[in-house]
Amino acid sequence: MPGLRNIALAAGLALLGMDATASAAPVDDLLQQFRAQGASGFTVAAGEQLWERKVIDPKTGQARRCALCHTADLRKKGKHASTGKVIEPMAPSVNPERLSDKAKIKKWLARNCKWTLGRECTPQEKGDVLTMLRSR
Amino acid sequence: MAEDTHRVRVWDAPTRIFHWLLAACFAGDWLTRDARYLDVHEFFGYVIGALVAFRLVWGFAGTHWARFASFAFPASSAWRYLLALARARQAHYVGHNPAGSWSIYALLTLAALEVATGVVTLGAEKRLGVLAGGFGYRVGDIAHALHQWLAYAMLAVVAVHILGVLVGCLADRQNLIASMLTGYKRADSAIAAVEARRGVAVTLALALAFGALGYFRAYPMAAGAPRDRPPALPLDAVWKNECSDCHLDYHPSLLPARSWSRMFAEQKSHFGEDLGLSNETLRHLQAYAERNAAEALASPVAWKMATTVPAAAAPLRISATPYWEQRHASLDAATWERVHRSACGKCHRDAEAGRFAPGAIDINLGRSPVQKGG
Repeated sequence: MPGLRNIALAAGLALLGMDATASAAPVDDLLQQFRAQGASGFTVAAGEQLWERKVIDPKTGQARRCALCHTADLRKKGKHASTGKVIEPMAPSVNPERLSDKAKIKKWLARNCKWTLGRECTPQEKGDVLTMLRSR
Repeated sequence: MAEDTHRVRVWDAPTRIFHWLLAACFAGDWLTRDARYLDVHEFFGYVIGALVAFRLVWGFAGTHWARFASFAFPASSAWRYLLALARARQAHYVGHNPAGSWSIYALLTLAALEVATGVVTLGAEKRLGVLAGGFGYRVGDIAHALHQWLAYAMLAVVAVHILGVLVGCLADRQNLIASMLTGYKRADSAIAAVEARRGVAVTLALALAFGALGYFRAYPMAAGAPRDRPPALPLDAVWKNECSDCHLDYHPSLLPARSWSRMFAEQKSHFGEDLGLSNETLRHLQAYAERNAAEALASPVAWKMATTVPAAAAPLRISATPYWEQRHASLDAATWERVHRSACGKCHRDAEAGRFAPGAIDINLGRSPVQKGG
C-alpha cells in the first residue's frame, strides 16, 4: 500500500527530526512533471550511470563528470572545479537541505547538465539522477 | 682638565623617557608600515602624537637643558658649528649643540606632520579614526603620499642624528648614548645638576601604558569589531543567494558598473558556465549592481576601483584590475597554491561585508583553515 508506506516514511523522517513534506514532495512533483513529458521507469542504477559519465569538454579538453565537483561519495563535501569553493554533500541523508527546494533543483539540473555534459539533460536523465540522489 | 670637570645630571628623566619612547615608536611605526598591521601602526602614531605634545610643553616647563631656550640656536650657528667640527675646533656644549638642536627641531616637526598626515589618511582613505569621513578620497591619497615621503625624510634625519651622536661621542670623548640613558654627562664643575623629575616621567609612562591597555583591549581587531566601524555597505538577499553557491558573493562595489553590465549580458558564458538566470532575477541583480557599483564610492576599495580601472576596460575578474594586482603584487606563487584568487575570504576576514580593511587581513595568508567566505 503506497499510502501506508508514505505514512511510515513520514513517521521515520519525523523521528529523525526532518520535515517529511519538505524533503520528499519537491522530488515527487518533479518526477511527475518528467513523466508528463514522456519519461518513465526512473532507476537508481540509471542515475548512477549518468553521474559517472565522463564527457570531454571540447573547449578546455577537461574530462567532466558530476563527481568532478561533487566527489564520488555523495555523503562527502565537494569542491567547485574552478573556484575551489566547498560544496556541501549532495546526499539528503547527511544534508537534509538537499532536494528540499524545487526551484533550486531545477536551476542546478539545468546549469550543471550544461556544464558537465555540454547539453541540457532529458526528462528521463533528470528523473534518474533525482531518484538516485534521493536514495543516498 | 680632569680636576675642573664633574659627572653631573644634564637630562631629566622625562626628557630621557621621551627620547627613547619616540625612537621606539618610530621604529615600531616603520616596522608596521604594511597595511596589514594598520591597527598597531596607528597605535604607535598616537603615542608619537602624545610624545610630541608632551615635548612641546616640556620645552617650556622642563629642567634647564630640556628647555627650548637652552638650545634656541639660529640656523647660521648650526652651520658654523659643523664647519668648526670639520676642523676639530668646535666649541663644547653641555646640552644640545647647535647642529643637534636643528635635528631635534626637524624631528619634532616631521613627527608632528607624520601624525597629522596619518590621521588625515586614516580618516579620508579608510574612513576610520577621529577624522573618519572628514575628507574625500582624493585628499586621503595626497595625505597618504605625503605620509610616506615624510617618513623617508624622517628616517634620513634620524640617520643624520645618529651619525651626529657618534661624531659627538668622539669629539667630546664621552658616551652620549649612555648620557641619554642615565642623564649624566661629564661637564665643567661650574655646571649645576638638574632635577631628575622622575614623577613626571613615571606619570607619562603610566598614561601611555593605560592608553595602550585601552587601545588593545579588543586586539586583534576582528572583522565587525566595534572600534571605528565604517558604515556597512548595502547587501542584497537575491545577490547573496545567486552568487554564493559557486564563489564569494563579491560586493558590487568591487567593480565598475560597466563590468557588471557586461557580466550580466554575458551570463550564458559566465566563466564557462551558463547561469540561465531568469529575466526577473537578472533585472534585480543588475539594478542592485549598478546602484552599488564602484562608482557609488561606498568604500576606499570602491574608490580605488572606480578611479584605477581604465575607462575603456570592463574587467570581469576583480583579480584582473590594476588595483587588485598592485595590492597583491608582493604575494608569491606558494600563496596562490594555497588560496584561490577568487577566495577573498581566505585572508580578508571582512570580505563578505565588502570592506577589505587592511586591519582585517589574516596575516596567516590562508595557512589556517578557519576562514569562511571562500
